[in-house]
Amino acid sequence: MSSEELKQEIRSALDNTTLARTLGTFCKTYPARRENSYKGVDFEAVREQIKTVKSYAADHVDELLPQFVENCEKRGGHVFVAKSTEEAMEYIRQVVKEKGVKSIVKSKSMASEELHFNKTLTEDGVLVQETDLGEFIIALEGNTPVHMVMPALHLNKEEVADLFTDYTKEKNEPIIAEEVKTARKVMRERFIKADMGVSGANVAVAETGTVFTMTNEGNGRMVGTLPKIHLYIFGIEKLVKSFSDARHIFKALPRNGTAQRITAYISMYTGATEVVTDKEADTKEKKEFYAVILDDPGRRQILAEPEFRQIFDCIRCGACLDVCPAFALVGGHVFGSKVYTGGIGTLLTHFLVSPERADEIQGICLQCGRCKEVCGGGLQIPEMIMKIREKDMENHPNAVKKFALDAVTDRKLFHSLLRIAAVAQEPFAKGQPFIRHLPMFLSGLTEGRSLPNVAQVPFRDIFPTIRQNVPNPKGTIAIFTGCLLDFVYTDIARDVILDLNSIGYLVDMPMGQACCGCPASNMGDVENARKEAEINIEAMNAEKYDYIVSACPSCTHQLRQYPKFFEEGTPMHERAVTLAEKSFDFCKLFYDLGGCADEGDGKDVTVTYHDSCHLCRSLHVTNEQRELLKHTKGVEFVEMEDHDNCCGFGGSYSVLYPEISAPILEKKIGNIMNTSADVVAVDCPGCLMQIQGGLDAHGVENIKVKHTATILAEKRGLI
Amino acid sequence: MNKITDELYERFKTNLESVNGTCVRASKADLGKAVAGIFTEAGIPDACVVETPLMKEGGVIEALESAGIRVCTDHIRLNAETVKGGVSENQYGIADLGTLVQGRDVIDERIVATMSEYYIGIVKGSTIVPEYDDMFDLLSALPEIPGFVGFISGPSRTADIECVSTVGVHGPLRLAAVVVDDE
Ligand code: SF4
Ligand code: SF4
Repeated sequence: MSSEELKQEIRSALDNTTLARTLGTFCKTYPARRENSYKGVDFEAVREQIKTVKSYAADHVDELLPQFVENCEKRGGHVFVAKSTEEAMEYIRQVVKEKGVKSIVKSKSMASEELHFNKTLTEDGVLVQETDLGEFIIALEGNTPVHMVMPALHLNKEEVADLFTDYTKEKNEPIIAEEVKTARKVMRERFIKADMGVSGANVAVAETGTVFTMTNEGNGRMVGTLPKIHLYIFGIEKLVKSFSDARHIFKALPRNGTAQRITAYISMYTGATEVVTDKEADTKEKKEFYAVILDDPGRRQILAEPEFRQIFDCIRCGACLDVCPAFALVGGHVFGSKVYTGGIGTLLTHFLVSPERADEIQGICLQCGRCKEVCGGGLQIPEMIMKIREKDMENHPNAVKKFALDAVTDRKLFHSLLRIAAVAQEPFAKGQPFIRHLPMFLSGLTEGRSLPNVAQVPFRDIFPTIRQNVPNPKGTIAIFTGCLLDFVYTDIARDVILDLNSIGYLVDMPMGQACCGCPASNMGDVENARKEAEINIEAMNAEKYDYIVSACPSCTHQLRQYPKFFEEGTPMHERAVTLAEKSFDFCKLFYDLGGCADEGDGKDVTVTYHDSCHLCRSLHVTNEQRELLKHTKGVEFVEMEDHDNCCGFGGSYSVLYPEISAPILEKKIGNIMNTSADVVAVDCPGCLMQIQGGLDAHGVENIKVKHTATILAEKRGLI
Repeated sequence: MNKITDELYERFKTNLESVNGTCVRASKADLGKAVAGIFTEAGIPDACVVETPLMKEGGVIEALESAGIRVCTDHIRLNAETVKGGVSENQYGIADLGTLVQGRDVIDERIVATMSEYYIGIVKGSTIVPEYDDMFDLLSALPEIPGFVGFISGPSRTADIECVSTVGVHGPLRLAAVVVDDE
């Protein structure tokens, strides 16, 4: 599929008003409800435990798997370990045929989707019924899940009523409670008559041969209680060692998944349990219990790749979807594949469903890092998506993107391009190929934002003219400006210097510095990112300075990443570590060096703060800047709603996916306007550009966006 | 095991109520009356009952019958298709979550707890543990995990249509726990 087709998918998802409403409301209320469900429970401790038991299981899968088989069989189960999805499906078809199964009731099983279970058996003439309400609805619609936990979020009650009317041939009213009753009635018939029940497992315990299934609707219990044959389908990643280990997973799963402390049902089956085989005669026997375990090459590949192995720690709670700003807008039909959705879905899709689809959708990730905060298994989701992006870039270098990144690496060329662009307005027009693919700096070109002026004189030429009056300097700090401060927001760089001067530090600007490499990294271009790291390590000469300051958290973050580009033990690596350790973001450094003081002109100004994704979630700086602002005389500080939600900038993102970026920005602007603030403080020039552009587009003139460094310099009378 | 404390009972009750269940406490002698009272009030005409010694002692079946409720004690699988009420005993409870725990492989007990419209779960107060972790400790320490263990926390529910939380899908629409004071 071309990126144009993906864009088409994005547009139609954005046009789906139900999706926007339900997903929007859900995602908005989710964080608070989730937090509430964790009252009295230490989430960090729980996810540490989950990581421990899950990674143990991943490391010992070759012991745990045969152990599960043995223990489940000891208790009367039949276990088949399938080496491929085809093999699994073939085995199941055989069982279905041999046992004369005519009808099947299924509770949710994502693994079964990998097998094309429904399609294959339906073609064999078997009646396969999805019984989870959401799954049932999308099966009627002929669609795939839009969300891992809530598959039918994209449909409203009217659409559901129509689907039910078609199916039952009776008029269904668009009343949710009534629709739920219809589902109960229709499904009850099926449960009673079904020959076989199919379940997915949340957890499988090796030491006891127990499988766990969590549901709210009770369909999981029906499937396990009524039919004479019970089939479980799951992958090797569901294994844990002991029964006791399983507990941790069910502490996080309902809380993370649906913000419930516990779901209505958690059922645990160990081997073949009792079932009524003849209801007229009231005969009870052991049921026929099968477990098909997927041990396919895709799963083995996950285990074989050190960077991706942690995917096995995923508990499929869906929390990463619920907090993802991109997912909130487009849902899982776009940001996902037919089986798995969202950020984690991109990774699972890469290994288990279709690497091609994963390549397409990885670009939707903004790299904002929100998913990581809530992830039940503590997965480094954005980092892994980045790895896929890098692989994709390596395999399919996109000529235009690559050109742009090459240009950034060469700062002279880059600045001339920028200047050309600034002078000749023509290339900024929408649809111009050249400019549209330039990385982040020109993202102001797209809808909903105005373009910042490219500075006529870059900061490197301004720097020597700044008079630094520091009589007895406490130390010398090197400033890393990054492209946006060097070429666009030169004033911010100046303010950083004046602020640091005011607390007794001299600032130097090493002239050889180039782009930090963040845009290249963001696009998966490791080669250029490494090149830029080398240039900067040489240029910054960190050994010479007490600290390195940057006023762009994306740059700071990138500088701190430099060691990973070089082999340990090499001189370059050593220098990278030195640079990384000395690099700080402005507000953090200024605060730590004693810059927080009750100073200021005392003139009243109301300030709100937008947290940049990199500063709050990668660098974990959320307090220092607020303290600095609150202590500034005259500043009244107010928080906006969702202050740490992404503004939609995401580096090159707003250029590549303006359709997604624009509505994210809209929300941010709305939250800002709901405060009484005169000024929005930010610490990231990218966010500044994005938010300023959004305010301009709304014609809001009375709210200014300013870097914290600028506010401090202004209020302290330094400029 | 010790008799349930008032504090633990209140905790169980509050948490069960927070997931749309209801809860009453009864002495052994009053068990039948308590069960019959719940069904009478809800207008349940008939019930599948899986009797246990505790329920026998508490006179559950007699109490239901004398309240005019038709009781089925066999062919549960067949009867549960039409009968509205279901009564069975649970092996444990978790106070912190308002959870009833079925901890043995008796199919009729699973059927009544799953298929009925109104399910009453009886549980001995002494078997209610304070926390979720206690339950896992207890189960893990058993010489053998029972073939079936089921946690039940309130009636069945869904939020699959427009994220609107609705009670009662495939499982019971209503659920009550009766906590029996035992020594
Ligand atoms: S990093 Fe942000 S955009 Fe990417 S998957 Fe995570 S939450 Fe979504
Ligand atoms: S990646 Fe993390 S948050 Fe997402 S489903 Fe898996 S465990 Fe849950």
